[in-house]
Amino acid sequence: MAGLFKRVYDWLLRTFWATEMDVTMIGLQNAGKTSLLRVLSGGEFAIDSIPTVGFNMKRLQRGHVTLKCWDLGGQPRFRPMWERYCRNVNAIVFIVDIADVSLLSVAREELHSLMSQPTLEGIPLLVLGNKSDLPNKLTVDELIDAMDLKNVAHREVSCYGISAKEETNLEAVLQWLMKFANR
Amino acid sequence: MSYGKKDEDADTGLIKIDRTQVFQEARLFNTSPINPRRCRVLLTKIALLLYTGEKFPSTEATTLFFGISKLFQNKDAGLRQMVHLVIKELASSAEDIIMVTSTIMKDTGGSTDAIYRPNAIRALCRIIDATTVQSIERVLKTAIVDKNPTVSSAALVSSYHLLPIAREVVKRWQSETQEAAASTKSSGGFSLGFSSSSANVPVNNSTMTQYHAIGLLYQMRMHDRMALVKMVQQFGAAGAMKNPAAIVMLVRLAAQLAEEDSQLRRPMMTLLDGWLRHKSEMVNFEAAKAICDMRDVTDAEVTQAVHVLQLFLTSPRAVTKFAALRILHNFASFKPSAVSVCNPDIELLISNSNRSIATFAITTLLKTGNEASVDRLMKQISGFMNEITDEFKITIVEACRTLCLKFPNKQASMLQFLSGVLRDDGGYEFKRAVVESMFDLIKFVPESKEEALAHLCEFIEDCEFTKLAVRILHLLGVEGPQTSQPTKYIRYIYNRVVLENAIVRAAAVTALAKFGVGQKDPEVKRSVEVLLRRCLDDVDDEVRDRAALNLSLMQEEDELATKFVKNDTMFSLPYFEHQLVMYVTSDDKSAFDEAFDISKIPVVTREQADAEDRTKKLTATTPSLKPPKAGPTKAAPSAADAAASASAAAQKYAQELMQIPEMKEFGAVLKSSPVVELTEAETEYVVSVVKHIFKEHIVLQYEIKNTLPDTVLENVSVAVTPSDEDELEELFFVGAPRLDTDVPGKIYVAFQKVNGEGALPTTTFSNTLKFTSKEIDPTTGEPEESGYEDEYEVSEFDLGGSDYVVPAFAGNFAHIWEQVGAQGEEAEETLQLSGMKSIADATEQLAKALSLQPLEGTDVPVNQTTHTLKLLGKTVNGGRVVANVRMAYSSKTGVTTKITVRSEEEGVAALVIGSVA
Ligand SMILES: Nc1nc2c(ncn2[C@@H]2O[C@H](COP(=O)(O)OP(=O)(O)O)[C@@H](O)[C@H]2O)c(=O)[nH]1
Ligand SMILES: [Mg+2]
Repeated sequence: MAGLFKRVYDWLLRTFWATEMDVTMIGLQNAGKTSLLRVLSGGEFAIDSIPTVGFNMKRLQRGHVTLKCWDLGGQPRFRPMWERYCRNVNAIVFIVDIADVSLLSVAREELHSLMSQPTLEGIPLLVLGNKSDLPNKLTVDELIDAMDLKNVAHREVSCYGISAKEETNLEAVLQWLMKFANR
Repeated sequence: MSYGKKDEDADTGLIKIDRTQVFQEARLFNTSPINPRRCRVLLTKIALLLYTGEKFPSTEATTLFFGISKLFQNKDAGLRQMVHLVIKELASSAEDIIMVTSTIMKDTGGSTDAIYRPNAIRALCRIIDATTVQSIERVLKTAIVDKNPTVSSAALVSSYHLLPIAREVVKRWQSETQEAAASTKSSGGFSLGFSSSSANVPVNNSTMTQYHAIGLLYQMRMHDRMALVKMVQQFGAAGAMKNPAAIVMLVRLAAQLAEEDSQLRRPMMTLLDGWLRHKSEMVNFEAAKAICDMRDVTDAEVTQAVHVLQLFLTSPRAVTKFAALRILHNFASFKPSAVSVCNPDIELLISNSNRSIATFAITTLLKTGNEASVDRLMKQISGFMNEITDEFKITIVEACRTLCLKFPNKQASMLQFLSGVLRDDGGYEFKRAVVESMFDLIKFVPESKEEALAHLCEFIEDCEFTKLAVRILHLLGVEGPQTSQPTKYIRYIYNRVVLENAIVRAAAVTALAKFGVGQKDPEVKRSVEVLLRRCLDDVDDEVRDRAALNLSLMQEEDELATKFVKNDTMFSLPYFEHQLVMYVTSDDKSAFDEAFDISKIPVVTREQADAEDRTKKLTATTPSLKPPKAGPTKAAPSAADAAASASAAAQKYAQELMQIPEMKEFGAVLKSSPVVELTEAETEYVVSVVKHIFKEHIVLQYEIKNTLPDTVLENVSVAVTPSDEDELEELFFVGAPRLDTDVPGKIYVAFQKVNGEGALPTTTFSNTLKFTSKEIDPTTGEPEESGYEDEYEVSEFDLGGSDYVVPAFAGNFAHIWEQVGAQGEEAEETLQLSGMKSIADATEQLAKALSLQPLEGTDVPVNQTTHTLKLLGKTVNGGRVVANVRMAYSSKTGVTTKITVRSEEEGVAALVIGSVA
């Protein structure tokens, strides 16, 4: 009987308080977007991940909130399409490989050109420095500088260091995202 | 089950769905949370629009597509299915469709029997492009061997569609495809089709997957004959395949292999024979058809197939009878003797209530009957003719016509039959068919001429069709004066002048005049003149004008008048027609600044035109009844197709050559050779050549295809060296600036005949391709800056006697043979053609190689061991060339021939023989 009651309660919860939010995850190829999403949705971390052709979508359930996460391909041919998938989302997550310094300037340019799009004004941005488990990585402060985040205007901006592989700091990421669930 | 569920939305107007409104509604896709049911309805509307031919403009399609991509991964399986279905249809019009690749890929996999998996696979192959095929490789490989046949079929068919963009990648999936073909999976139970309440793939117990797998395997192995043989043998073994359609495919393949390689003929024949006893009718028919279509099939080989077809003739099902009869009908054109065993059964079908069956029965019997039975049949048909519609009468008349041309000595009874039906009631088309058959008899069977003309004379006495009367009058004018009793016709013609309408009267006047112009008998000439004078009082302008013109021509010198009235050369009509059509349909206004220039149209003699005409008529059975060719086999095209395609090719060439300014002054092309392959079909560069003969020039037209992927050839030219440089001098060449992969290009090399107009130079050309090869940069798609110079040598080819000869027709061979022999020269050669498998084969090949026209029906050998082939042609200069070819066949030595050629021009006889010796 208690089981039935719980099922009814869950159903009520889903129906009346359920919220869906859209989150777009972008970043250069090989930054770890697909890996992060897989780990967040309870999957195993995989060393050999095939590059994403187009995008990839997964739902994460946190209480009564469903996060629809759009993981976009990072190759140059897909970058022009980022803007389209960022429109009207609740939050944008930009992922950077902090162990590969050589790509930082490209990442910075792509981020800034995206943020200057009028259609994306006001959408909160979370920059994640991924692969913190590797040696020779940047610190969060260095990353903020390298990405020139001080100059990203008209929106809430945060920056964390994480590791998809070791599952470090992932709870903070979810917490941050959940803040925007009901906007 | 939603099987009987009513569609609540049906009356919201499935018929009145409007594109713009649907596009407005598509905002629904962006609402959150998603309402699966409403989205499905909307997607259904979009699908309906797309399926009924509506097209969304690219921007709308793109917006829709992005909207739809929000619906991905929904828990509702039905919605997912619809999403894939619509994405697949939008793939061709929306932009950036590649974005959904990864997402769709997820829906293709997994071990579940989710209903949307096949849809996802099908959508995937539509959105993928050549550069990303590799990323879906694993997914498709797994799906091909999926235990669910619906999934497996979807993957196989999708792979098939990927071949054009990624043949090499798809080829790597051979072992999976092989496995799919071999598995006899089927889940059992019944298929209830689409289901919305259950999210699982409907149960599928069909074995169609095997068919799909065999089709794909064939594509993969197409160029590897040994692999194909293995495939036919493995899957052709009894019980290996369950699906009849798959076996039909193997049947066709076996036939093709037997055709291509004589070594394989025996094993393939054994397989085909086995399939004659398969439990599926479809397979039996296909096997029987394949055996009947086999080149030079022997009586022994075909017996069993004919027997099987004969059994089907007594089937209670009309469609079975029809199918069997149609194959027999077609086969009877080649081997009437083999089909004649079925005659008793076929005769029972003559009066079948199904008209298609009845007509085929009769036309088949006309081919299979011996001389005696032809007479009997004609009688039987005469009674039958009144009961069928004009359409079927025409079919029968056409069959008779072919018969007359093939067996000229049956002309008497045919003529009797034709004249009989000419008196029957019937519409224009039917009468026209009869009249044209008689025209052909007159043209090609000289013995029948006078009697046929008499029947036609009688017919116009009471002919309600002006068009036919006019044509007959014209023919009487052409043929009448050469008969033994010209005056007989004058009376009939003059009757028309008195009794008919103006159009017929005008035609009669012209016909009449032909008896007067150039007339040696003063008595006849005078009476024609009297009659024409009476026409000067006619009420119609045209009739009077024609009479006046012809009267004054009759006063002229005979030679001039004859040239004017009885010209024996004519414009090449197919070419003339084509040029006129090109002229009047020109989009370029300036084309009309100048009048159509008729002097550019080549003139041919009546003999040449007749030669083409006869071949066409002899081999073309009635078009409405011509059975489609079996399978993918590119069997040797019939002579009629060949003739039709040859004149089409000539037109195409002439048109292309005229585009090249330097060649304009060469004049008309006198002869274009068939295409000569200079490389194997599977080499890196595939090269062929066509030799065009002009009055004073020779032009070599090379066609080159670069088959190397991701490579372009630039500045392509051919270095051509004739073995004998005294006779030909290279003038210029037109190269190809750039050849992309698999896009053929043309190169022209022009030579001057050093010895002028009449010369017929012979030589051997050696050829080397020269070009700069550049690789395509995969990132930009453009060729790289620098390439390397390269050369590629291709086979030599000859310019020989037959390149200067065109086939010509005449009714009587012996006469010409003596005539040419009296004034010209003769050459003789005895050849051992060990490669030829039969007299029929040799007959066909020799006529082709010599480029001469078989006369007196000698193109159809009656005897399998000895045969005499009589051939006629003309050189491009107009001199006649006749050949007498005697052949004998023995299984040990092949065909032995003695060829004797006579020519009016000096040196030509030896030259022509040289092209086969
Ligand atoms: N060491 C380490 N490697 C990672 C981490 N996250 C991703 N990778 C690796 O980086 C590569 C690219 O990952 P992927 O998720 O495909 O990147 P995407 O192109 O941004 O989707 C893969 O080989 C991953 O195994 C991480 O946190 N630590
Ligand atoms: Mg990725």
